Amino acid sequence: MDAHPDTPPVVVTDTVKNAIRIIALDQRARDNSVRLNQTLSDARALVPDLDCHPADDARNQALLLKIAGWCERYTPLVALDAAPEAERNHGLFMDITGCAHLLGGEAALIADLEARLRAQGFHARLCLADTPGAAWAMAGYGQGHIIAEAAHAEAILPLSLSGLRLPPAMVASLGRVGLKTIGCIAGLPRAPLAARFGARLMQRLDQALGRETEAISPIMPVAELSTERRFAEPLTHQDEISQVTAALAAGIIEPLERRGLGLRHCRLKLFRVDGHVSQLDVQTARPLRDARLIRRLFDERIAGLHDDLDAGFGFDLIRLDVVHADPFEAGQTEMMASHAADQGHDALVDRLGARLGLDRVQRFVLTDTHIPERSFGRQPVAHLDAGSVRQAAGNAALALASDQEPLGGIITRPLILFDRPELMQTIAEVPDGPPLKFRWRGVAYEVDRSEGPERIACEWWRDGRGARTRDYFRVEDRQGYRFWMFRHGLYGRETSDPAWYMHGLFA
Amino acid sequence: MSLSRLQTATDILQARTRAYEAQAYQAHRGMGLADAEKSPPLTLGDGAIDGHLEGGLVCGGLHEVRSPLARDIGAATGFALGLAARAMQAERGGRGGIVWVTDPATRVDGGGLFPVGLAQYGLAPSSMTMVEPGDLQGAMWAADEAAGCNGLAALIFQIKGNPPRFDMTATRRLMLRARQSGVLALTLRQSGEEEASAAATRWRVNTESSGADENYQHGVGAMRLSLTLERNRAGRTGQWLLAWNPKDRSFDHAAPNPHTRANPPAHSLDRLPVSANRPDSSGQMGQVLDHRRDFGRAS
Repeated sequence: MDAHPDTPPVVVTDTVKNAIRIIALDQRARDNSVRLNQTLSDARALVPDLDCHPADDARNQALLLKIAGWCERYTPLVALDAAPEAERNHGLFMDITGCAHLLGGEAALIADLEARLRAQGFHARLCLADTPGAAWAMAGYGQGHIIAEAAHAEAILPLSLSGLRLPPAMVASLGRVGLKTIGCIAGLPRAPLAARFGARLMQRLDQALGRETEAISPIMPVAELSTERRFAEPLTHQDEISQVTAALAAGIIEPLERRGLGLRHCRLKLFRVDGHVSQLDVQTARPLRDARLIRRLFDERIAGLHDDLDAGFGFDLIRLDVVHADPFEAGQTEMMASHAADQGHDALVDRLGARLGLDRVQRFVLTDTHIPERSFGRQPVAHLDAGSVRQAAGNAALALASDQEPLGGIITRPLILFDRPELMQTIAEVPDGPPLKFRWRGVAYEVDRSEGPERIACEWWRDGRGARTRDYFRVEDRQGYRFWMFRHGLYGRETSDPAWYMHGLFA
Repeated sequence: MSLSRLQTATDILQARTRAYEAQAYQAHRGMGLADAEKSPPLTLGDGAIDGHLEGGLVCGGLHEVRSPLARDIGAATGFALGLAARAMQAERGGRGGIVWVTDPATRVDGGGLFPVGLAQYGLAPSSMTMVEPGDLQGAMWAADEAAGCNGLAALIFQIKGNPPRFDMTATRRLMLRARQSGVLALTLRQSGEEEASAAATRWRVNTESSGADENYQHGVGAMRLSLTLERNRAGRTGQWLLAWNPKDRSFDHAAPNPHTRANPPAHSLDRLPVSANRPDSSGQMGQVLDHRRDFGRAS
């Protein structure tokens, strides 16, 4: 870290082998002859006003993830350096195959990356090579930023064996037999080395030299299609962002058309100049290919954010990713009246979901159970598995038909169901008579007529053996209120004091 | 002087041109449906009410259904859903679908729609879309959006009480949007008071005991509602007794029960006595005691 000249040197400490030792230090501490792995007391003797911070792995990891998110401006393939054997794991792998030309070449990309990281206050060691292993070795244990193409094999030969991401114990035992650099083992016969030190050594060597391919697994899922715009002068106004979104959406339509897809889930990533990354997601109920509609959905999304999009000093890179796309049926562009109505309803659902949140716009889904409060569920309309609203309507109608509930039959179920049945005080005949008087929500009602009981047994395979049967009654009181209530438990057989609950209201 | 007059004339001309262009564009795209005034009014199914409303409810407009007490919500929901079901049945232009927007305050009373009950009532649950925003402002925005959507048959906006934010301006906005798109917009006011709004008709729904069931004498018979039309922009008010027929999806005329309720309804408009405008002087003053007979007895 580059610190202000007047601040004291900063070190990070951790308890290693029962002593507080220094595990990281900055240049000023190094200038004052503080060394790594020195105990804190020794270091304090050298520099009395040392600024020491305890190690916090969680925060380190969180910061690293944030930096990784920011590094996505260069390439979507950013992976954490997850070499558990090696001690050092505060690094990132970035695969810039095919991305370098966007910034004017590899050297320009490296320079830009380093400059921006330095501007944010990070001191980073970078290296670009053909293989991840070679880049890791060079960045950690070598000099130089770019290894020329196909020159990585020679470049890493003089580096120490720790550059191969090996456990320190293995490096120490290799050192005891006199093998200290990569060049030493590169020429040796493989079988004895593998027999003595394990296959991992050979695997790491092959990975570094490029004989074995190593794939990095990116942190964020890579989008199928992506389009972006960079700005020399960062954008701050929401109108400008909206216009850029429209332009990006227009640009992504053509590749979608070529593949016959329409987008269902897209993501807008806004990279701020100071390193913060904002992300907005939009999901639609049916595949979309209309740039104006996409722009409008993002406008609704931004309007629905509780706090405004904080632009800081401005966004200098805006990217639109297509996270999920479905085959697009060409029939949806016809202008028949019913299709137009369909489009209207689907577009409305998309807009409502974009602004309010996708889980706030729901439709009913029937499930196969007798217990009333479990017999249905709600699912967001824009669920990725559901089709358009019309498809969903068709499926649900099928579900209903199989439930043999014709539309407009005898009314046995209430219109309104309470989420939780409400306990009431009731006077009723035992063992299974209808209620005569009851008190619900503080008001007394007298029953005029009633129908029932309708017995709905418990689901013993879900609720266990102690669950009780419900006897439902449809009652009407003197003034015409119609209720759906049940007795919880059979008198005598399941309980001696069955309670009564109010479950729903009829029209 | 002449310059300013020329400017206002230009403005008027520009506004007119824009209006014509908008109309022409809509007509060209085929998206603009026939004017709401020209679409047939929504009949309720009962001749008496339909005659009173001169054909039926204005379909591209806003109507309000109010339930004075929280426990009347069942009846009010039934009436609103009945109107929505009839709007869907009318199937003008192939539209369908009902959007139900709830103000989060209504969830305090804890009730949600039950799809099996909806199906029995005559409404396919697959045609309902439920929107539950997090606050009243989001709910009002959602209702505005849904009211302006061409592809819907009906919008039901359920609110609790009389929130000050949902004022005349908001109802007017809803009404204008519904008129343009032809959606039947209903405001379902749960436990609310009467309030002036831009709705074309305002209904108050009370429960009514059901008629006797022919099969099961002691059972709960066909569902009945007591409707009071409190305000009608295009005509008179009135009160009716209706029953909902799930098979035909219409409101049928219902006769009052042979055993009437103990107390007549408090707000009965049809049964106002002749002396309604004069203070009532001939009410009962209480129990009349004959002192001559009780005087002298030990208390």
